[in-house]
Amino acid sequence: MANANTNNTEAAHVSIDSEPAHVISTAVECHDDDDVGALHDVVQGLPSHAVKDLLSVGVCTRCILRLFGIRGNIYSISAISPSILNSVIGEQRHDEDISSNSKESEFEEVLCALCLGILQFTYCDDKEIPVKKGSANDMAVAISELVKREGYQIDSFSLEVSVPPIILENEHSVRLYMKRKYGTEPWFQGGPFSQSISAKDALKFSLAKPLETLLDCKSGISNFRIRLTFSHKSSKVVQSVAVSKQGCKRIKTGNCVNSLDDSVAGDIECSDLADATVERSFDGLQDNESSEFFKFPLEKVNDACHLVLLCQRTPIYFGGRYLKYSRNVSQTRWIIDDERMGEASVEEIIGSNIQPLCQGDNYKFHAAGREDIDVRMLGSGRPFLVEVQNARRIPSEAFVREIETNINNLENKLVGVKNLKVVGIEGWTMMREGEAEKQKQYAALVWISRPLEDVDLDSISSLKDMKILQGTPIRVLHRRSPLQREKIIHWMKIERIGGSSQYFLLHLCTQAGTYIKEFVHGDLGRTHPSIGSILGCRAEILQLDVTDVKMDCFLTE
Amino acid sequence: MKDHSVDHTINLEHEHKHEHEEEQDSLYRILVPDVRDLPLTPPSAIESNFVSYFAPDFTKPGHDQYVYRHANGLCVIGLARTHVAFKDTSGITAVDFNVGKSDRSGIKVTGKRKKNAQHFESNSALCKVNTDDASYIVRCCVKGSLLEVNDRLIKQPGLLNSSADREGYIAIIMPKPADWLKVKGSLLGLEEYKKLREC
Repeated sequence: MANANTNNTEAAHVSIDSEPAHVISTAVECHDDDDVGALHDVVQGLPSHAVKDLLSVGVCTRCILRLFGIRGNIYSISAISPSILNSVIGEQRHDEDISSNSKESEFEEVLCALCLGILQFTYCDDKEIPVKKGSANDMAVAISELVKREGYQIDSFSLEVSVPPIILENEHSVRLYMKRKYGTEPWFQGGPFSQSISAKDALKFSLAKPLETLLDCKSGISNFRIRLTFSHKSSKVVQSVAVSKQGCKRIKTGNCVNSLDDSVAGDIECSDLADATVERSFDGLQDNESSEFFKFPLEKVNDACHLVLLCQRTPIYFGGRYLKYSRNVSQTRWIIDDERMGEASVEEIIGSNIQPLCQGDNYKFHAAGREDIDVRMLGSGRPFLVEVQNARRIPSEAFVREIETNINNLENKLVGVKNLKVVGIEGWTMMREGEAEKQKQYAALVWISRPLEDVDLDSISSLKDMKILQGTPIRVLHRRSPLQREKIIHWMKIERIGGSSQYFLLHLCTQAGTYIKEFVHGDLGRTHPSIGSILGCRAEILQLDVTDVKMDCFLTE
Repeated sequence: MKDHSVDHTINLEHEHKHEHEEEQDSLYRILVPDVRDLPLTPPSAIESNFVSYFAPDFTKPGHDQYVYRHANGLCVIGLARTHVAFKDTSGITAVDFNVGKSDRSGIKVTGKRKKNAQHFESNSALCKVNTDDASYIVRCCVKGSLLEVNDRLIKQPGLLNSSADREGYIAIIMPKPADWLKVKGSLLGLEEYKKLREC
C-alpha cells in the first residue's frame, strides 16, 4: 500500500491536463489562481452534452467532476458551483437556484441526487437539525472544534468516511445510463468513468487539507481517528441482493481500488465493508442482468443524510511488571454479593494511576497468569498490560516514569511496578506468547507431621523434571472441568528454617498451570505425587510466594 | 529509562548483577518467617478450607458418615472414624462401587457444567465397603450431582483404614443451594458430634 499523502496533498496533479497545479497556501480559503485556472482548463476538456445531461438529472458539480475522475487539489475549493461548468456547457443557467451570478461561491438549494448532499456539505446533525456548510473549510472547522473541545492532543489524524449504500447504487445506475447513451462516442472509449473517484474519497480530499491546517498535523495512518458516518432513510434493499449474488465475500478495505488516501488502512468498518461488497458485486453484474436494479432517472432527494461525527483514539497500552506485597490483595477487582474480597486489587491500584493521567474513558487490565489473593508476587514481577480506551493525551517517557514512582511510593505499599512504559500492540503478543510453556518459581512455607531429616533434603533435590498428575483441585472444581492434568516439577530445594524441625521453605520451579498448594498437601490424594507422598507423611502449606515468572517481556533493559 | 548511578563508569552488566543480588537479598528477608509466629501444629487443609458436618447412624445404627463442605458448595463424603465398619478387627478389605442401578466408578463427568453427572438422593447408595465379616452400604447423605468417586479405593481399600478422613474419602457431591439448606439442619457440627460419640 503506497502512502498516498505525497501524491495528494503536496503536489496536486490533474489527470487530464498534464500541467501540475501549485500547492495550496496556508490560508485555506485563498487558492492559487493557478489552481482555479487549472480547474477551468480541465473542465473545458469535458464533453459538454454529457455534463449537461448529468446536471439536468440532478447531479451536483463535485459529483460530476469526480465521476470523470478528475483528481487534484480541487475538492476543497469553495468556488465549485454550477457556474464553473457554464464555460463547458456554453450557456448561462437560469434556474432560481443561483442567487447571483457574480458570487463565486453559491449555495445549491437542491440536494444532489447522487451524493445526497454529502459533497455539498449538507447534512442533518445528531439533533436532526439540517446543517449547510458553505465550504469544506467550514465543515473542517466544525470537526476541529469537536477535537479541541474533547481535549485531544494529537500529532496526526486518520480521516474515515462511510456513506449510505444507496449512493453506490445510484452511481451504478448513472454509469450504466452513461454507457448506454454515450458508449459509442470517442471520449467514452478512453474510459473516463473507470477512473471515477468515490464520494467517500472526494469528501476526504476536500476535508484533509483544511483539517491539516486547523489541527496543525498531517493526515494519514494514525491512532487518532476522525470518523464521519452518513446514513440515509432510503438506504435499504440493494445490499441484500448484492450480497446474495456474491455469497457474502469479505473484502479487506486495503484492496479498495479507489482509495487514494490510505487512512483507512487495515480497518474493516461495517459500512466500508458493505460498500466494498456492493461495489464488487456491481462490477460482476452484466448489463442485462442489472437492469432490474437500474433506476433512471434517479429519485429526487428530499432529505439530507444524517451525519454522526466521532473522534476516537485507538487503545494505548502500558506494559510493565507488577509485584504484590500483600496477602490480602486480589489481582483483579473481586466482588461477591456487593462485598469486595480483599482490601484492594492490583488492577485498580495500577489502572487508577494510569487512566486519569491519559484522560481516557476507561481501562482494562491484562496479566500473564495470576496468583491467589493470599499469594505474594515477588522477585522480578509478573508481566501486565493496561489498555486505556480513548486517551485524550499520551504521556511522555518522563511522565510514565513519574507514574511508576507514584505507584511505588504509595503509602500502603501493597503493590509495586517495574519497567512501566507505553508499548505498541506487540506488547499483547509478547505477553500471550508461550504463556502456557513458561516456568514459574515459588517459595512455599511447608509443615510436615514429623521432624525433617537430612535425607529428606536429598530425596527432594534429586527429583528433576518430575511428572505429577493433578485432578482438578476441589477448591476450583465447581467452576472448572473435572480433568486430570499432567504437570512437570522442574526442580525443588528444601531450605531449613532455624529453630524449627517441622517447618521448612520449599523452593520449586514448575510448569505453568501447576497448582502448588495441592502439590504440597495432596488434595485428599487427588494430586499425586505430592510432597506428603514423597516424604511419607502429612504435609501442609501455610504460605506461598511467587518468586519468578520466567518470561522475556517487559524486563529491565 | 534506567536511573543511572552517579558514577557512570560502572558498566551495565555489573549493574545488572548488583541489582539482581540486591533483589535476592531483599527477597530472602521477606521469605523467611519469624519462627515465633509459627504454631506448633498448623490447621490442616481440610480444617482451613472446609466446614465439617456429621451424619451419625445414617439410615442404620453405627453408620456414621462425614460431610466436609467447601466454601464453593462442594461436599466431600466419607466414613467417620466412629463408623461401625472400623470395629471389625480385619479392617476394611474391599470397596465396591457397583451398587444400585449402576457402577458409580464408571460415570464420566465432563465440562464446566458437569455434564453427565448423575443426580442422587441423600439415601442413594454410593458404594459397599467390605470387611472379613460384613458389608456396609455407604450413602450420599446429601442430595445432589455426583461429581466423582474416589476410585483409588478400588485398588487401595486400606486408605480407609489409615486415613478415612483424608485420602480415604468416598465421593464428591455438588448439591443445589436449596437442597443443601434442607439437609443442613439434620447434620451435626464437629463439637456436637464429638459430644455425642464421646470422642
